[in-house]
Amino acid sequence: MIKVFPAASRYSADLGWLRSHPSFSFGEYYDPNRTGFSVMRVCNDDYLAPGRGFGAHPHSDMEIVSIVLNGQIRHEDNLGNSVVSSFGEVQRMSAGSGVIHTEFNASAEEELRLLQLWFMPKERGVTPSYEASRFDTGKLHNALLPVVSDESSEQVAWIGQNMTIYLSKLEQGKQLSYAPGSKDRKLFLYIIEGQLGAHGETLAAGDTAHIEQVSDLELTAAEQAFFMLIDLP
Amino acid sequence: MKQTLLVKHAVGGRMFIDSDKQAVPYSVVQHGEGWKFTVSIPWSGAIEELLACKNELNVFIFQEFDDQPTLKTWYYVKDGSVEYDSDQASLTIIADSRIEYYPHLYSS
Repeated sequence: MIKVFPAASRYSADLGWLRSHPSFSFGEYYDPNRTGFSVMRVCNDDYLAPGRGFGAHPHSDMEIVSIVLNGQIRHEDNLGNSVVSSFGEVQRMSAGSGVIHTEFNASAEEELRLLQLWFMPKERGVTPSYEASRFDTGKLHNALLPVVSDESSEQVAWIGQNMTIYLSKLEQGKQLSYAPGSKDRKLFLYIIEGQLGAHGETLAAGDTAHIEQVSDLELTAAEQAFFMLIDLP
Repeated sequence: MKQTLLVKHAVGGRMFIDSDKQAVPYSVVQHGEGWKFTVSIPWSGAIEELLACKNELNVFIFQEFDDQPTLKTWYYVKDGSVEYDSDQASLTIIADSRIEYYPHLYSS
């Protein structure tokens, strides 16, 4: 079963310094029918003006992932971390019992585009932690590259939930298949660029899909496609 | 010194209580190793939503001074220890821990 949410049906906010496209309810945008999918609560495709960002604010009991698509993000927190990341890098924060942090566009000239992803944790009240990881962007080519997972490795950031985030850049006409561990798993698909065929549907940039009860997902690039696939409990 | 109580949804920041906009008598006292908030506030749709989101609350006290930077204190409500007493028109929130921070000390 696949349910597609076209980009045009998404809420969008334009604050001047921030253009945000949330897939789920966030801030003043509240739709009781779109508050999340499985443990996923937030998927914001954000564009931040040079030098602008989110001032000091808290988080708790949420696994927060920032994937930089263009530009540079600077993260700073009360744990002592101060890190700048760009494309090919991922920031993961397990907010646990509480963390204060800031996120800003680190560039004075270039716009920042990033995916902000929040997931409910497997365990509440854990000691907060933060990690920045780097993946080989060449390995995105015609493959599903894990970048965040509870089964972490050198280029895969750890996360406190039973899930994996994959990124891929698929050439036009190429095909990939993905078999979740069981049919009970849920899959979230987000098209960053291009067009992708999935389970009989064609998705364009900004479209999302919620996929359930599928044992083998076939993905075909209708045109060059950059996308994110998340395997959720 | 001006002191403001804020209770917001942790996912995106929807505001449920803002003592700067709605006069709500409240107290905060040490409660074991945590803190107990008691807020006198009439029942409303905002309180109903707050209770529906009781596992995802951000509770703040902002202290604004004339001669020093604003101090923000954030309280961690771990297990949704949030109750509303309709007879007393009183909201109780138990926080497990807190973090004090000065926003100006973070780079922008």
